Amino acid sequence: MDAVWDAVLQLFGEYGASQANLTLIEYDPQKSYAVMRCSNKALGMVRASVASITKIDDKPVAIHVLRVSGTLKSLRSGGGVKTD
Amino acid sequence: MRKFVDLHLCPSVQDVDRVKRMITKCSELGYRVVGIPLTPDIGQEKVRQLQDICDSAKLDFVTRVDFFSKTPSELLYDLRRLRRRFEVVSVVCGSKPVARQAAKDRRVDLLSFSATDLRRRFFDHAEAELSSKALSSLEIDLAPLLSLTGRSRIRLFSRLRRELAIAKRFNVPVTVSSGATNEYLMRSPHDYAALTTLFDMPLSSALVCLSENPLGIVMRNREKLSPNYVAPGIRVVRRKKLVSPRKKTIPRN
Repeated sequence: MDAVWDAVLQLFGEYGASQANLTLIEYDPQKSYAVMRCSNKALGMVRASVASITKIDDKPVAIHVLRVSGTLKSLRSGGGVKTD
Repeated sequence: MRKFVDLHLCPSVQDVDRVKRMITKCSELGYRVVGIPLTPDIGQEKVRQLQDICDSAKLDFVTRVDFFSKTPSELLYDLRRLRRRFEVVSVVCGSKPVARQAAKDRRVDLLSFSATDLRRRFFDHAEAELSSKALSSLEIDLAPLLSLTGRSRIRLFSRLRRELAIAKRFNVPVTVSSGATNEYLMRSPHDYAALTTLFDMPLSSALVCLSENPLGIVMRNREKLSPNYVAPGIRVVRRKKLVSPRKKTIPRN
């Protein structure tokens, strides 16, 4: 989650980060997926920030957005955010 | 439903495992067509191997060649020799004369410029006017946006913003590709579209640049390279078998 915050701050600054309203809902380290909530208007911003992450703790990573939805029910049935 | 295309996936063709991993990843991310740049001297077995890997991942494989010509005459020589062997031709413009020649030439599909050395980006009004007449596209690779950090990335964003505005003014189509050399630089089409908003490309235009523009180039060239093609709008529909004429014998009186 720190990596996502850092990416939003780097690309869009504190003003952009304040518009995003980012929250971590759940994270499963075994399945390598997380569910995050953000403001609807900042979806593009958050998506670009997540896509721009290439390293976490000096390890190469790629984070892919699997699904975007307004409800947790449909996300849990389909999948959320996956890390490689 | 949109068919997303990545015309510039750059694995090392010699490393078959990496190629397989990247092509599989490409399919999982939602692409339907993938183009891999090949060397001009590549053998048919290698091309067939790549085709087989793409077929097993249910992807359409497009052969592509990147020219790194140093002079306009070298570019013309390469085009004359290799245009009909590859479905997509891209010119990496390292100098202004090469960029101008590539923009003027109708045989060139994609114009690429260096992402790291901004002095070698020659896409200006003159270039845009030439390429709009010759139907060549401006190609933007997004992998450098992920690899660069700090001021170099900021400068690249501002240059891309300016080039996009020029391309829009002169109706030059833009193609967005990954340029990824490994799996960690690959992203889904929607993620790439979100990244393009960083240099003021609207999301709807970004999705067109990831699907219709590159697909149009591929379809157009496949039609031109097919054996039934004669001229724009003219193609062979049916071929009649020629029957050898009978020998007429003149009776001797």
